[in-house]
Amino acid sequence: MVRVKSRYLLCEVNVSNRSDLLLLDDRAVAAAVKAAVARMHGDYGAALCSIRFSVKYLNAHTGIVFLRFPKRCYKLLWSALPFITSIESRRLTIPCFLNCLHVGGTIRTCQKFLVRYNTKQLHRMLPKCKTEEEKQQVRQAILSCCLPGGNKEELEDDLESEEDEEDEEE
Amino acid sequence: MSVFMDLNLLFSEDRTRLQNLVETAAHLGFSTVAVNYVFEPSAKKKQEVPAPRPINELIGQLPVVQGRSRPIRVLNRLTVVMSDASHFRPNAPEYRRFDLLAVQPTTEKLFHAACMLHDVDIICISVTEKLPFFFKRAPINGAIDRGVVFEISYAAAIRDATMRRYTIANAVCLMESCKGKNVILASAAEKALELRGPYDIINLGQLFGLSDSDSKESVSSTCRGVLLHAETRKTASGVVFTMKIQQEALQDSADSEAPAAKRAKAT
Repeated sequence: MVRVKSRYLLCEVNVSNRSDLLLLDDRAVAAAVKAAVARMHGDYGAALCSIRFSVKYLNAHTGIVFLRFPKRCYKLLWSALPFITSIESRRLTIPCFLNCLHVGGTIRTCQKFLVRYNTKQLHRMLPKCKTEEEKQQVRQAILSCCLPGGNKEELEDDLESEEDEEDEEE
Repeated sequence: MSVFMDLNLLFSEDRTRLQNLVETAAHLGFSTVAVNYVFEPSAKKKQEVPAPRPINELIGQLPVVQGRSRPIRVLNRLTVVMSDASHFRPNAPEYRRFDLLAVQPTTEKLFHAACMLHDVDIICISVTEKLPFFFKRAPINGAIDRGVVFEISYAAAIRDATMRRYTIANAVCLMESCKGKNVILASAAEKALELRGPYDIINLGQLFGLSDSDSKESVSSTCRGVLLHAETRKTASGVVFTMKIQQEALQDSADSEAPAAKRAKAT
């Protein structure tokens, strides 16, 4: 058996105002990517982008997006991503940019990377905490993250709890 | 060697904007950035070369770089827009205060002079207009031999569709003659939202006609080469370095008041 190969891009949506992130939804991100590809690479790019492109996961709290592209043309499609300057969502234009953090062949490797990346973000957050209580919470969160084992649901919970922590810090 | 650098953040009087720029750059994983002062001499009246502001005055506390434990390193850079041969004065004392020196020639003759003669680190390729001249092989090879690099900035391409065409056209034109060697990609961003992550820039190099390894070098090791080249400009070929030590300043130097870039390197 030969499986269909894809590339998963783990991107971070950067905005100037963090509360704008909550307005994002996956359809808005998909539309923005498609528009940028069509603008940069014309009909050819739009055609490639319509085959197996999808937004696999969107975390509105941390602004993390998983994009799936077909493997044979992911570099071409990726080169259009820097030209996204805003995402239109719920009739609002959110100025933002996408920053690619990782490119993986499976969702699982991306997930592993994301857990590690979020742990690092928590480490960066620790010196910025003001009260002792906040510090304790972040420490707890760092201890509770683990690399993905066999159980996927458990991991999802871990991810959720990290996000909650980060929200409280914001 | 994979620390990423962005050697062009436009200077603005607005302190919060500059602070935002540096913070975003640190978040994206750039370990060195340069604040760029653009100096455009005009024929009619004489203008002063801008003086660099001390970094600790501009930015309160330097943010920590993503993925590393060190704070970001901030340098000064001067870009002289040359439209006449007299605009660039070699060995001017004003230029010595900057860490990096760049020129942006607008005619073929000046481009030739900048490549072969002038003691600069970076030659900027204009990205906001159609190329006013063709790149010739001889000056570009001369520049590569001397260790001068060419800079392509991408912020204009992000702002506007026509600029994007000019940027890509000029970049591809340059790559034809320099074959991807001695090229750096920088942002020239005014706002924080015009910066892009290092991996995105590396992939963007594909559009400019760079190969994978060349475009990776264009944000990392070539930039390091520029910094080392800049150091040789200040010192006697990077071998001998002199500095004045005052008696009462000894204590000051102990707690290292000067920014990391200004300190004498033990090379």
